[in-house]
Amino acid sequence: MAIATYTGSERTSIIISVFSTTPGIGKTIIAINLASGLATHGYKVCLADLDLQFGDVLNYLQLKSPVTVAGAQRALLDNRENFDVRNFLFDYQNGYVTFSILPAPLYIYDAYQTDVNLVTEIIQDLSYFDYIIVDLNSMFSALNLAILDISTVINYVGVIDFLPALKNYKVGYDTLIRFNYEEKKIRLVENRADSQKLIESRDVERLIGEPFYFKLPNDYASVKKAINSGQPLMFAAPESKLTKSFDDLVGLYSNRKIDNSQDDSVIQPSGILKSIKKFLGF
Amino acid sequence: MAYQVTIVEDDSDMLNDMVGILRKSADFDVTSTYKNVKDALGQAGMFRPDLFFINVENDEMLNSLPKFVDTFKGAYILGTMRQWNPEVATIASDGGATGCILKPFTAKDVLEYLQLYSVRGQHKPAKLISFFSPKGRAGRTTLAAILALQLAEKTGEKVALIDADLQFGDLPIFFDLEPKRTVVDAAQDIRLLTPMTFAPYFHQIKDGVSLLASPAHPEYAELVGPDSLVDVVRMTESIFRYVIVDLPAGFNPVALNICRISDTVFITTMINSGFEVNHAKKTMEMFATQDDGRRKVYTVFTRVQPFNEESRKKIAEQLGFPVDIMIPNEYRMISVANSGRLAQGLPMDTLLMQTIGKMADKIINWGSGEV
Repeated sequence: MAIATYTGSERTSIIISVFSTTPGIGKTIIAINLASGLATHGYKVCLADLDLQFGDVLNYLQLKSPVTVAGAQRALLDNRENFDVRNFLFDYQNGYVTFSILPAPLYIYDAYQTDVNLVTEIIQDLSYFDYIIVDLNSMFSALNLAILDISTVINYVGVIDFLPALKNYKVGYDTLIRFNYEEKKIRLVENRADSQKLIESRDVERLIGEPFYFKLPNDYASVKKAINSGQPLMFAAPESKLTKSFDDLVGLYSNRKIDNSQDDSVIQPSGILKSIKKFLGF
Repeated sequence: MAYQVTIVEDDSDMLNDMVGILRKSADFDVTSTYKNVKDALGQAGMFRPDLFFINVENDEMLNSLPKFVDTFKGAYILGTMRQWNPEVATIASDGGATGCILKPFTAKDVLEYLQLYSVRGQHKPAKLISFFSPKGRAGRTTLAAILALQLAEKTGEKVALIDADLQFGDLPIFFDLEPKRTVVDAAQDIRLLTPMTFAPYFHQIKDGVSLLASPAHPEYAELVGPDSLVDVVRMTESIFRYVIVDLPAGFNPVALNICRISDTVFITTMINSGFEVNHAKKTMEMFATQDDGRRKVYTVFTRVQPFNEESRKKIAEQLGFPVDIMIPNEYRMISVANSGRLAQGLPMDTLLMQTIGKMADKIINWGSGEV
């Protein structure tokens, strides 16, 4: 079933937030392809673009939406009784695949006026979906923290091609831990993992003290095709390695008993790393 | 030779104190004192003063600073105040004062302040330049850092870099620094600081260039009120001739407050998917609505490929605004920044450096009628 039925808030969705501490490293691409991948498997999916000022979800899908989260917030403020979040969703459809989008505001002024509590409430109103994918921006803002709080998992993305990016990935992870997010909830996802670079994934894992949950390969050509054609990768580059890789990641995220398999495949931190972690005050 | 001192002070007790202190020092020769502006401007010339103390808490005296600058060319002019007032200090500096000093002071204080203010550069108001980027990953920090290095080298004047990207500032890593004090400390302390006690918050990274670093942990950003950051920038202007601020991405209270007081804002964008030009357009439209004629806003596009006028035209069409500055790509920059050797290892012979060099020349000439 592709069309969501509105059943109030009896159910709870799995909320996957896509977060990073460095901008421009593929969060939106990941969010779109998680949404379309989960939708392919028959799940009801909503993709919420909470990069409020400069969200790219609509851009990357070449859509224009008459409704946005800014309108939803206004409606919620004006008439809470009759608020229906469905009036503010815009559907993406491509063949048999469809998912809903809660678009970012069109104007910066509207983005600046958004209220953390109202937006969080709007996201929680989407609970009739099986999955809510939230595309965030790269800051520890009040809104991002509120969304990370209600997320089932945090898909924490890093591209480790540049020393400042590595620093920000590590600092961001440490901060999430200091904010008491469970390590299990934070999924370290390396993007462009196999590109030629100066810093090895293994060194990153050693520095962080945790292994990557998933590594997405570097496939600039396919991403470019997807953006230029305004489609998810499964349509723009169905045979590409990145498309296959996203399918695997969707497989991990759609197992409701998430990752029993994970513990087998991951490298447990060694004794030394454990003591370093303690030393760093985790 | 001792400074030939003139004091302009309407408070008799304060005047007596100052005269008493300076007379005890061999470095100062108090030649005349005045209680009002008119007498000082009319009579002090007789004594060929080269150092003025003028009470800038008195509005008339504060507003007459340009006349003193004009009448006594080359003399040092120190505004005196009992408590540090950032607004008054800015007006004094804009009026041409060498700087301000708290009173009462010791003779040693005065010598230290004169030293601090003379190494700053020309006795002209500072130029405050901010780097804004809509989404980040725009080359903003690299550009700000190279521009700072080039301005210092070309002018021999003091340049400050302020890392206001409070959560994820990258400047310390570019210069391989582990700062003891950061912009967060400065913002918390600023109400208690004077230019003299504030100066050590900066880390010298090269001759003439100093950095006020971002904090190591993102949650410290919470401790910085946008208003106190404005005060930090204002005081920085009193000890540096050029102040370059690397802002956090997007529209937020910190970025907006600093842009509001900036002389120049560079909206920095790197084209990747192509939609970045749309973000720059939205940004320029926001700045246009905020325009009060006091600042110049320029568009900068980094890593432009191909680096030619054709690209400029294409970007400008999509942008709906002129493309003011284009910066070419330079692959070697990544390894330079990665090794923390930005202060030493810049590839000077490249098109990138020449382009930023020209940008620095323009900034140096702004305001001197040679744009």
